[in-house]
Amino acid sequence: MENHATKITFKVNGEQHTLDIDNRFTLLDILRDRLNLTGAKKGCDLGECGACTVILDGKAVNSCQILGVKITSSEIKTIEGLSQGDMLHPLQISFIENDGGQCGYCTPGFIMGAYPLFESKTNVSVEEIRLALAGNLCRCNAYGAIIDSVVGAIGIKVDG
Amino acid sequence: MVDQNIHSSSVGTSFQRTDLKDKVLGIAKYTADLSLPNMLHARVLRSPHPHANILSIDVQPALKMAGVHDILTPFNVGVGKIAPDVPILDTKVRFVGDEVAAIAAVNLYEADTALDLIKVSYDVLPFSTNIDTSLEMGNPKIHAQGNIVNGGPIVEARGNVEEGFGQADYIVEDSFTTPDHHPASLEPRAALASWDGTRLTMWKPSRGIHADKAILAAALDVNPNNISVIGPVMGAGYGSKDETRTSILAALLSMRTGRPVKLELNREEEFLAGRRRHSTSTKIKMGVKKDGTVTAVHVKTVMDTGAYLSSGPGVVRRAGQGALYLYRCPNVKYEGQIVYTNTPTAGSYRALGAPQGHFALESLSDQIAEKLNMDPLKFRLMNHVGPEGQPGERATPKNQIIDTQPVEGGVPFSSNELRQCLILGADAIGWDKRDQITTPTGPIRRGIGMSMFIYRGGPGGQSNAEMSLDKDGCFTLNVGFMDVGEGSSTVVLQMAADTLGVLPQMIRLNSGNTDNTPQSPMTAGSTLTFSAGQAAVRAASQLASVVIEAASEAIGLTDAEGLYITPDGVCSMSGDGVKFADLANKSGLLKAAVSVTPGSKNYIVNSFGAHFAEIEVDIETGYVKIIKYVAVHDSGRIINPKMAEGQVRGGISQMMGFTFLEDMEIDHSSGVTLNASFLEHKSPTIMEYPEIEVIFTDSIDPVGPFGAKSLGETPCIAPAPTIANALYHATGVRLNHLPFTPDSVLTALKRLR
Repeated sequence: MENHATKITFKVNGEQHTLDIDNRFTLLDILRDRLNLTGAKKGCDLGECGACTVILDGKAVNSCQILGVKITSSEIKTIEGLSQGDMLHPLQISFIENDGGQCGYCTPGFIMGAYPLFESKTNVSVEEIRLALAGNLCRCNAYGAIIDSVVGAIGIKVDG
Repeated sequence: MVDQNIHSSSVGTSFQRTDLKDKVLGIAKYTADLSLPNMLHARVLRSPHPHANILSIDVQPALKMAGVHDILTPFNVGVGKIAPDVPILDTKVRFVGDEVAAIAAVNLYEADTALDLIKVSYDVLPFSTNIDTSLEMGNPKIHAQGNIVNGGPIVEARGNVEEGFGQADYIVEDSFTTPDHHPASLEPRAALASWDGTRLTMWKPSRGIHADKAILAAALDVNPNNISVIGPVMGAGYGSKDETRTSILAALLSMRTGRPVKLELNREEEFLAGRRRHSTSTKIKMGVKKDGTVTAVHVKTVMDTGAYLSSGPGVVRRAGQGALYLYRCPNVKYEGQIVYTNTPTAGSYRALGAPQGHFALESLSDQIAEKLNMDPLKFRLMNHVGPEGQPGERATPKNQIIDTQPVEGGVPFSSNELRQCLILGADAIGWDKRDQITTPTGPIRRGIGMSMFIYRGGPGGQSNAEMSLDKDGCFTLNVGFMDVGEGSSTVVLQMAADTLGVLPQMIRLNSGNTDNTPQSPMTAGSTLTFSAGQAAVRAASQLASVVIEAASEAIGLTDAEGLYITPDGVCSMSGDGVKFADLANKSGLLKAAVSVTPGSKNYIVNSFGAHFAEIEVDIETGYVKIIKYVAVHDSGRIINPKMAEGQVRGGISQMMGFTFLEDMEIDHSSGVTLNASFLEHKSPTIMEYPEIEVIFTDSIDPVGPFGAKSLGETPCIAPAPTIANALYHATGVRLNHLPFTPDSVLTALKRLR
């Protein structure tokens, strides 16, 4: 496999990495298998479930759909980079307070899916929250508590 | 001084789910997140044929690849069995996706490349992808015993249905079908096996590590004392996730290569090689008198178990509970038959057969009410089984525990608030205005429907718990069960804390490793809160006595009279006391160990509920929108309201997939599953999630721990018939075949016109 390798340099959670990667590796494979960042999950590997959602250059993406060779010079934020030491991110706190996860397998994906909304600093409606998370599946169907969690962290427009 | 003013009352509060912090941080470790040094990756070669004998397998070209370390085939795996009808690998394949061979290689890409090099020679056999063709004489047997499991149906009856129908003024009968419904947990099956020459360590998502250990030992012929099963955090199972070949193949590859082996199924494999809900075909017949009294119920159900039997016997029996027990009736009969087909295997999925059985029963119940010109709610209020149980004579000897799903009458329930469920739900949905909300013209038609259910659960198998006071002044509760993502470890912790009189934060729950936990049954059948809870309560109670006794000695009292436990330590009435850490250091290890057989000799322990829905049907698109959904549950005392509400809402939304969307589409000419992906197998998303009001009755069960009964599966039983009845109310069209896709709704509406 080493003859299919490419050297890439990228940042994850503020830390710079330079790796020789198998060209077939996706961003999700790199995170999980090379950097041991296993918060992003491989629920389908086809971009159909959202469990692998991370932030790539400011946008929420399915990391299983990004080839590793394409991430050179990119900045990536994963669920592991959201908290600062013991300080949890407001989204994480709100998911705990609102019981926004059951089995938890989809939880990092949902939190990262909601992260750009949180960062946008603007109030959003419940409908916008639903739309932002429409590509994330939760088979426990904890959707009600997930909406409550996101609303709790970022607030909603009064006129909805 | 020990602070006497802190008290523990965690039960009934929404104590925070204990493992949620790790989950939101992304550090909770699931099986696929684990890796070991020197680990190999495994992949499985699956059958392209629905039914075939394997004549030979040439593995040499694949084995010559540098990265490939081992290949398992039916010809080199030995004769062990995973279940009576499931060998480790078989020379016969029974569905498209059945396991043929397994490869261990240095990485997944190498393993995938090598899979293509394995040459299998098949003798292709005629096949059957549905019940009808499986039952036709002359079709090839899928298993040696034939295509009908045990040669015929299970039959359970009370009274005499022929006599009952003879007394009826009206007899209504109909047929219903339900689809192949897949749990499709977001975490696909995975296993990590490590064999060190004498000892096997297995990490796998598990709803019963001790049961898994027994299966591994039997299949691999390894002494169970040399097997450790560890259950990492589980990306849910919804009743599914065990009994497949995944862990056995990983174990065998590790034993043969001497290296750790990880096998992760991909999404397509999870659909095919996982376990689906049995599709069913049901004929139901009910007799009533003119005044509405039910005189007889007769149900015949045939279930498609697919290629292997799995949990079929338990599922087919449970599908009959509604018919046998939901309506007060002296004459009932249930016949349930299981048939093999060449399709992916069905097994246990949340609420087992109950959703299928209740779909037929509760749809027909509305049809009968209409025949009687009676309000469907009134019909149920008149006929639902009450706290006194069913008419008849108790057959179970007085000194024996009553089955949670009896057939006999003459046994009361420990608690039954079904009536309260009906009344509270009707009030919350606005049932009295039901006929005013209908819209007989225009493209959008409104309607309200309801249904009710009964479910076994609660008492499960013999459960063990150990509890100790540790040197740091905290406690350890040691249990053998698995939290499968539903939160059972949190509620069991709450019950133990309140029993002992300490805070739940002061108790460490140890579970998930067969090496250091006591035997426990699987997390199955909605029995955990009741059974493991009872064991935890008993252990905590016993430990309280031990701690008080030791405290009395430590303080220097002559007896323990008047001593009591607070979260800060043990106190006496006179103000003396000892903190837990001091006590632990003075008294050495203080511990308790109990084993309980949950259940009652006097009562049936069951849970109940009633669901109501207001919907809008767009008769131009066939799309159904839920305006409001109300779920009322009698699950006894609710230990953790927020988690319980989440469980109910999630169960209902999950079953909106069963009701409107989900079916495994199997091509009958090839046996191929056409939609084994989330893209093509549509599941409910956050977009459709409806408003769901959850109401719990005020019942406190006299048998259950802290008055609790079962809840895990019960939200899944009533959604489909509730929607079916609302659809009928809205449009005048009755749909007997799930799922109610827009296409099927439109087709049914056209038939009406």
